[in-house]
Amino acid sequence: MHFLHHIFPTTLLAAVLLLAWQLYCTLAGVSPLLLPAPLDILRALVVERARIAPHAFSTIWVATLGFSTSVLFAFAASIALHFSPWLQRGMMPLLVASQTVPLVALAPLMILWFGFGLLPKVLLVILVTFFPILISLLSGYSQVPQAYLDLLHAMRASKWRLFRRATLPMARASFFAGLKISATYAIVATIFAEYAGARQGLGIYILTAKNSFRADLVLAAVVVSAGLTLLLLGALQLIERLTGKSRFEGQNAAG
Amino acid sequence: MLRVEDLTLRVRGRNLVTGFSCELQQGQITCLLGQSGCGKTSVLKWLAGILPKAINASGRLSLDGAPVQTPHPDIAYQPQSDALFPWLTIAGNAALGLEMAGMPAKAAIQKATALFGAFGLSDCETLYPEQISGGMRQRAAFLRTILQDSRFILLDEPFSALDAVTRLRMQEWLCTRLTETSRGVLLVTHDLHEATQMADRILVMSNGSGPLLADIPMMTPRAGRSEAALAEIRTTLKSLLLET
Repeated sequence: MHFLHHIFPTTLLAAVLLLAWQLYCTLAGVSPLLLPAPLDILRALVVERARIAPHAFSTIWVATLGFSTSVLFAFAASIALHFSPWLQRGMMPLLVASQTVPLVALAPLMILWFGFGLLPKVLLVILVTFFPILISLLSGYSQVPQAYLDLLHAMRASKWRLFRRATLPMARASFFAGLKISATYAIVATIFAEYAGARQGLGIYILTAKNSFRADLVLAAVVVSAGLTLLLLGALQLIERLTGKSRFEGQNAAG
Repeated sequence: MLRVEDLTLRVRGRNLVTGFSCELQQGQITCLLGQSGCGKTSVLKWLAGILPKAINASGRLSLDGAPVQTPHPDIAYQPQSDALFPWLTIAGNAALGLEMAGMPAKAAIQKATALFGAFGLSDCETLYPEQISGGMRQRAAFLRTILQDSRFILLDEPFSALDAVTRLRMQEWLCTRLTETSRGVLLVTHDLHEATQMADRILVMSNGSGPLLADIPMMTPRAGRSEAALAEIRTTLKSLLLET
């Protein structure tokens, strides 16, 4: 049932798309230098796997490190902003403004300021992923039903207890939604940072392949980056499930 | 005895409640009736110490003659919905009030589960609110309220979400539980049948402009009330409510 509902439509559509792409490349005689066919990309992926793997590991390491740090920062910031409406009013415009800075301008500057090491890349991932997580948490905090708040206030619960017992659990679904959005940005941001300057990573691999006019290798790296993103999303899905989502979001309410 | 004196509630320059006074006795159920919007729930929220900031209140509240600040440990409040937290088990929900009062979680859950049988919740300890029926949810909410060991309980239309049969059963059941525990109850309701069957005393609120329209003590005990006598009181209440 799960396969028919979720996996089958995706698999079918992807297969149709890839088949159309393959047929177009074969029948129209498009040069593989311009547009490699899916089979060419697959071949490149197999041949280059030993070279791509270390780059992929480097990318996922930076993305995971940056993403995890971002989650911690966003969580701490969300608590501070939740308990201080004054701080929230002051910080929100600044945080929104920070999101308007184009990555293309910021990434080379980060490399310039912090060198080719881990730091500029992690900082860039944090900058990109921090905001959606923070916003999802703050939005979740504001969704506590008034009846829950009334109940706990009448029980003379302290602000912290009220936050821990009602506000925080209420924000769970919203938090995971924000995490999933940010996870997709994390890999892209890492590749972007590597593209601006790095010793290893899919970004630098893509740059080298592009400079050698190897579109098949560029697309092979893109396939790997998509795989890494799915891996990160899968890990989040697993964490969400293991920490009890299904417990209270099921549909089996008694009459 | 819990006494409210001269309570006036104002919202956006308009009097929602004017000069409301009443006394709640332990072991008695007092029903608060009135038209929609007359401020019944606001009175309850003022007593519980959770009045929205937009409403200005003036009035005095005293317990056994001494003025008290709300929220107060001797006044428990149950909102209109059961307000069970979906991420807590039924045992966790029932123990919430005890935990908030400072009891360690384990001890609170133990104390709560000891009463599950009496509240018709046997074998529900580890279930989640979505997994039990509306009547059971309401019983779990009552258990959470009663476990707080407060002398007075404020109930805001606790049966409004229940079907007719479950409502009748729950009314009877709640009266028995409350008699056993000797609490003073202030019950807000729209239902005249509910008021006449459950109350020891019925207060009818006016629509903002003045004090109470009526304060009707129910002379006979609940079990001895005849349907004819209750129908007569309901007719009186109906005409009072329609006049306002």
